[in-house]
Amino acid sequence: MAILCDKNSKVMVQGITGGAGKFHTERMLAYGTNIVGGTSPGKGGQSVSGKPVFDTVVECVETTKADVSVIFLPARFVKEAAIEAIRAGIKFVVAIPEHIPIHDMLYVREEAVKAKATVIGGNTAGVMTPGESNLGIMPDIAFAPGKVGTVSRSGSITYYVADTLTRTGFGESTCVGLGGDPVLGSTFGEILWKFEEDEKTKAVVMCGEIGGVYEERATEVIRKMKTPVLAMIGGIYAPPGKRMGHAGAIVEGKMGTAKEKLDILAEAGAYPCRTFLDIPKTLKKLGV
Amino acid sequence: MRLYEYESKQLFENFKIPVSKRFMAKTPDEVYSMVENMVGPVVLKSQVLTGGRGKAGGIKFADGANEARTKAKELLQMKIKGYAVNSVLIEPKLAVKKEYYVGVTLDRANYKIVIIASGEGGVDIEKTAVDHPDKIFKKSLSIKENLYSFDALLLAKKIGIPQPLLKESASIIINLFELFKNYDAKLVEINPLVLTNDDKLIAADSRMSLDDDAVFRHVDLKEMGIETRHEEGEMTPRERQAYEWGIPYLDLDGDIGMFPGGAGFGIMGNDFIHYFGGKPANFMDSGGGPSPERIAKMLVLLDENPDVKVIFGARFGGISRCDDFAKGVIMFLKEHGLSKPMVMRMTGNMWQEGVRMFEEAKKENPELFEHIEFHGIETPIEEIAKRAVELAKEERGQ
Repeated sequence: MAILCDKNSKVMVQGITGGAGKFHTERMLAYGTNIVGGTSPGKGGQSVSGKPVFDTVVECVETTKADVSVIFLPARFVKEAAIEAIRAGIKFVVAIPEHIPIHDMLYVREEAVKAKATVIGGNTAGVMTPGESNLGIMPDIAFAPGKVGTVSRSGSITYYVADTLTRTGFGESTCVGLGGDPVLGSTFGEILWKFEEDEKTKAVVMCGEIGGVYEERATEVIRKMKTPVLAMIGGIYAPPGKRMGHAGAIVEGKMGTAKEKLDILAEAGAYPCRTFLDIPKTLKKLGV
Repeated sequence: MRLYEYESKQLFENFKIPVSKRFMAKTPDEVYSMVENMVGPVVLKSQVLTGGRGKAGGIKFADGANEARTKAKELLQMKIKGYAVNSVLIEPKLAVKKEYYVGVTLDRANYKIVIIASGEGGVDIEKTAVDHPDKIFKKSLSIKENLYSFDALLLAKKIGIPQPLLKESASIIINLFELFKNYDAKLVEINPLVLTNDDKLIAADSRMSLDDDAVFRHVDLKEMGIETRHEEGEMTPRERQAYEWGIPYLDLDGDIGMFPGGAGFGIMGNDFIHYFGGKPANFMDSGGGPSPERIAKMLVLLDENPDVKVIFGARFGGISRCDDFAKGVIMFLKEHGLSKPMVMRMTGNMWQEGVRMFEEAKKENPELFEHIEFHGIETPIEEIAKRAVELAKEERGQ
């Protein structure tokens, strides 16, 4: 088992004929990802890496039974692409591009919640279930099948954490790049709970960042979890940043510093880590 | 992207939110000639991209053109939280009976748009939110919902708008919401919304922050002269250089030059250096999928910084491929040359290709590589960070 995707996932790529779409479709296929086709409006009937290209997601789903979509399109087209996928019945959408307009993501989130679909991103490196499915741009070299789940705002941090877990023999069940954009398709809490329900995942590493309130909001879920959660927060020594204005502070309360976030997560039962090497040490202590 | 008050007030006016008649001036003499033609006392407001301007003395009142010129001169010499005052907005001074607050913003954690209103407007609204949350009223909406006039009327009633002005204030709230949605805003704020002695409502101050990633679809802003700008106040010469090159960069006070991949490890790499007893000289972010030219420029920034004693390089190729990275480093070595030690680790997508390129270049010009300690995936990044701290100590002669 894994979360979100495995070897049986039927994966399609939106924007499969573009430069990044083509390049990463080949990489994902080379990893063994079950890619069944893709879309590129106006280019239906062509093929990329031997996989059929359709004009619309509905057609792609009808023919290939795709149930996961990875979006490789310029940010401004992601809103429509994601909504198209969700309305065609796709239950898991990975939005790779960065700089997706915030209001667009609010629309996408509305659609996803209504259809009980999961959207990951934007600005994500993707989702990887080692040995089974690589959705996005994550470098294979860091990963090996195993028992620890990871969820992180940043791509490079995901790679470093996986690299550390791989080197120390723990391996990863699934690695989720939550995304670095200001408004994301999914929350830490939602992904953590999927790991909680996954039998293969024996512990989860969550990596957050200074700014926003996403990490703090995960505490409700962490308190309910039996699977141990290890937490890292980037920006402990960051120079003090700028804020958005009064209304932001009124709605989101006091913006946590990285240190405060780490303390809040620890208070909720997470195990704080300061370097990647703290992760295997902590896992050993926990008997994972 | 934050807007200046004079810019957001223009947008307010376009959306039928009442604002005062106003003039912009860039010199004390311009202020003089504007105020000469105005009746009654005036307010001079420094135009800066930061809040807390009033408390910092950035707003002054004047009676007549002479006093206005003197006060404007003071304002135009000021710096407010690092922001130089380059222009002044002139408006008639309002006779204030009461101040309200109305704002629209994002509640990112709940994926909602929130309309916020309070009868306690003015500079201390944040304090009110903490001390008297009962005096702050909110209405949350999804992006797909409309703000109905009955909801706006209820908000207006709750904050104590007088009966004769209820309908007008509800329109103001709705128009503010429409403005927020229309321009992909992150924040629009009237603080204060002033009730004048002659019972008129006027947006005395305005604040707007737009989503940089959506500015492309608002071509009318460009026509108004509102374009993406640098918002972080004063820059050091190196920060300005980096800004011109499109590289997110901050000078810090240490001596280890940080040459990371994306922002994620850019931030955490700084923590690691501190954790192992060193101090970073900068923060930097290569952005996703940087070109070789950009990689080379990042190194130029560090090599030419005399405070940098050693460079700490980290590349875990994802969307940013190792071959492009290696190409950029080699370009820098050939065209510029490295004058200080660099310890780096490279792995990730296309790492074999990156390593091959380094080896070839080294065979050709071994002297270019004499300051570089190169590592691959076999060395944990913590070891690289520790080594950078150690090298910095050696360079300092400790």
